[in-house]
Amino acid sequence: MIPLAGTASYTLPFVGPGTYLIFGVVLAPIYVMLVAWFLGYPRDAKKGLLGVAYLAGLTTSLWGGLFVATMVIKALFF
Amino acid sequence: MSTRVSDVSREALVRPIQARSKGFLLALLAALGAIGVWAFFYVQQLEHGLIVTNLGGWGSAGGVPWGLYIGAFIWWVGIAHGGIILSAAVRLVGLKTYQPVARMAEMLTIAALTCAGLFILIHVGRPDRLVTSVIPAWPWRVQWSPLTWDVTVITAYFVLTGTYLLLTVRYDIHRLRDSLPDRLEPLYRALMVGYSEKEDAVVERLVWWLAFAIIIMAPLLLHGGVIPWLFALLPSMAGWAGGVQGPSFLSIALTSAVSGIIVIAAAFRRAYGWQDLIPDAVFRGLAKWLGFFSLMFLWLQLQQVMTGIFAAPTSLQHATEVKISTPTYWLAIGLVGLALLYIFASALKPSLFSIRAMVVACLGVLVGTLLEKVLFVVEGLQHAHFDLYAGVPGVYVPSVVELSALLGTVGIVVLFFLLASKVIPVVELHAIEGDHEEVDER
Repeated sequence: MIPLAGTASYTLPFVGPGTYLIFGVVLAPIYVMLVAWFLGYPRDAKKGLLGVAYLAGLTTSLWGGLFVATMVIKALFF
Repeated sequence: MSTRVSDVSREALVRPIQARSKGFLLALLAALGAIGVWAFFYVQQLEHGLIVTNLGGWGSAGGVPWGLYIGAFIWWVGIAHGGIILSAAVRLVGLKTYQPVARMAEMLTIAALTCAGLFILIHVGRPDRLVTSVIPAWPWRVQWSPLTWDVTVITAYFVLTGTYLLLTVRYDIHRLRDSLPDRLEPLYRALMVGYSEKEDAVVERLVWWLAFAIIIMAPLLLHGGVIPWLFALLPSMAGWAGGVQGPSFLSIALTSAVSGIIVIAAAFRRAYGWQDLIPDAVFRGLAKWLGFFSLMFLWLQLQQVMTGIFAAPTSLQHATEVKISTPTYWLAIGLVGLALLYIFASALKPSLFSIRAMVVACLGVLVGTLLEKVLFVVEGLQHAHFDLYAGVPGVYVPSVVELSALLGTVGIVVLFFLLASKVIPVVELHAIEGDHEEVDER
């Protein structure tokens, strides 16, 4: 990514070691898992999609639930 | 000598779902009471702020803004990580001896991760800003902030574990449906969406790859990676910094997790007469793993103490000297050491082994690992380079508010197991099926 003029590089999104660490190393086993779900045998794309739906649904419900809970706290106490 | 777990009936498997007992009710009330105590104090904290814990800003506790909340966060994350590792190992490496406790380990992971997240939520002075600050800042901070890595990885870990449980439970619900309560039919229908017996082989493969992802991520990149990096990457805190924190955190995670699984498995075995379903061999095997992990824990503590007191940089030497002069540190080491001694003695003389004594040893290990983690956090902060907090008055002692949160999270885990055991089998059906049957009792 090309640094913007007058902008410190550490303020640019995704420019830094954490990007390589998280997306290149830490999440790599998940990429392998997802590829294997859809390429291995016995194969059933619908069940692979069910797994992906669980992953997406749980992520959404986790952060969505947290958002609702914290907004309730805000309404009651702040 | 061996025990055929497959001789156990399906009736035994669904016993927790169907049984009504006074013990269950008492445990439920105790869990709700513990949560209630915490809720009472948490409301005080929300109304008056973190000042009620002495942790606010520079604080009145020797300058320590992190204490039991963060120590307990690491402790619960450790228990969570070790739990699913056991379950994944059953599937990947074929450690079928432990199949009867594999689902309990998965459930422990979900409950413990929830409690870990809760400690972050309650430690944030304004919890209402948690989601609204983390999500928008994520793309701007993920490249530099270990806290952002932490949020990312814990989310991934929770989601992987939840998916693992949701996929594996379908097989059991389908085959045990007649024994499950009709009033939960809508829930079972949702869990079984699109199910057919043809999917079993496919789902087993999906779950194998899930276990593969988990067993690489959890030990090497989470509790041996991102979690210790929250501390180990900060050179200004001599007691925190350094590569040894990765393996050290992992050893504590595995030690406390195996202890947690032993306690929970023993509780279920006693409550539901599961001597055949969870035979002694499971506990003897888990005890050996606990002994090995405890040894690793003590060995890595020795590494840290030796490198901290022998010709160490001044600030590290000071931090280490403070640590080894703290009686609580030796209490923590002693509790783990005692458990190791008991396991070693019962390996030499098997008649010494009893599940009751093992549970006591495990409770000691759980207390010891919690103490070590809280001390790590507090003393690491107090004895930073340049005596950063030297002029700040006070001494850190966990407040009643913080202790109530610890009690509350234990209550949440107990409540989770009580309720979940009324909905799904806490032991996989595979554990009593013919192709998963031999359990070595030596």
